[in-house]
Amino acid sequence: MEHDAPRKIALLANCLLNQNAKVCEGARYRGVVSPVVEALLRRGYQLQQLPCPELAFAGARRWWAVYEQYDTPLYRDHCRRLAQAIAPLIERYLRRGDEVILIGLDGSPSSGVRFTSSKPDWGGRPDRPQDDWDIVPHRGIWIEELEAELARRGLPSIPATGWALDMGRFDEAGSRRDLEDFLDSREQNKATRADTPGAQ
Amino acid sequence: MSTDLRGWRIAVLCDTLVNPPDQLRATLPDVFAIVEANGYGVLQLPPSGDHRLLLAVTADQIAEYAHHGYAVLAIGLAGEPSNGLHWRRLVPLLRHRKISPPPRHIVHPDVDAAVAAERLTTVLAGYDLPLGEQRRWRV
Repeated sequence: MEHDAPRKIALLANCLLNQNAKVCEGARYRGVVSPVVEALLRRGYQLQQLPCPELAFAGARRWWAVYEQYDTPLYRDHCRRLAQAIAPLIERYLRRGDEVILIGLDGSPSSGVRFTSSKPDWGGRPDRPQDDWDIVPHRGIWIEELEAELARRGLPSIPATGWALDMGRFDEAGSRRDLEDFLDSREQNKATRADTPGAQ
Repeated sequence: MSTDLRGWRIAVLCDTLVNPPDQLRATLPDVFAIVEANGYGVLQLPPSGDHRLLLAVTADQIAEYAHHGYAVLAIGLAGEPSNGLHWRRLVPLLRHRKISPPPRHIVHPDVDAAVAAERLTTVLAGYDLPLGEQRRWRV
């Protein structure tokens, strides 16, 4: 079926299809994050779920953490192993000319795309709601390692954004607008390129 | 009081049921939407082919859920190799992790879509861990 027309593929942070993967007290939906899936399906995307790096490393009953706590050689090795497991599929999509995008989870220490959580001196017993960390513009560790693996394979960078679930106070309507702007801007860019004489 | 909304139930889904091709879309129930409406999270299996590493990673995740109070159910599609569930490879990986394979529900494309949807809804609505297990983990 490799000769078929190019498809639109959305790589999704694991918990966007499965909120059971979230840290204790972190699930905002029962299972699927419906607004994300609805926005993608309405625009003709197929879904490709990424593995959850934190679940397989720290377990289903882990507490929340910041970037610096997960930034260890062992966790990065684990993320590289997961990246090597999913990369062949992504490579297949890209080499057959599919349009691939990535939707991560902004604010997450692992799956953040535009933002991650940071507090270099944080540690010890979790204490919500007193816990306080910063949101900084940076990839999460899993996304860093996934992108590094794709680059090692000589693949182009994938346009990406994040669903802002882990940014502190969650604003679903704002997150939805943000995601739809990202998706629609891609469609507009494609239309503009198609209208430009000589454009590829 | 916890504001965590997780549903504690997970459907391991054959890739074709997540991304049905156009020719099947007309004859199949919308399995993904039914799973979603019943409050299940989704673990998507890879498409057909050799995906050893990815299946091992998937088995790690299923085992973690099964060990900690989550109800896991696999949903496959008749007509796909191994019903799209990679069962021949996945089951030994699960047993190696001390997990019994989850129950399977197979969707048959030759069954009327409305009937298949109703059957699936009934299975999903009625499936969960025994109450004792739920109380042990879901606090």
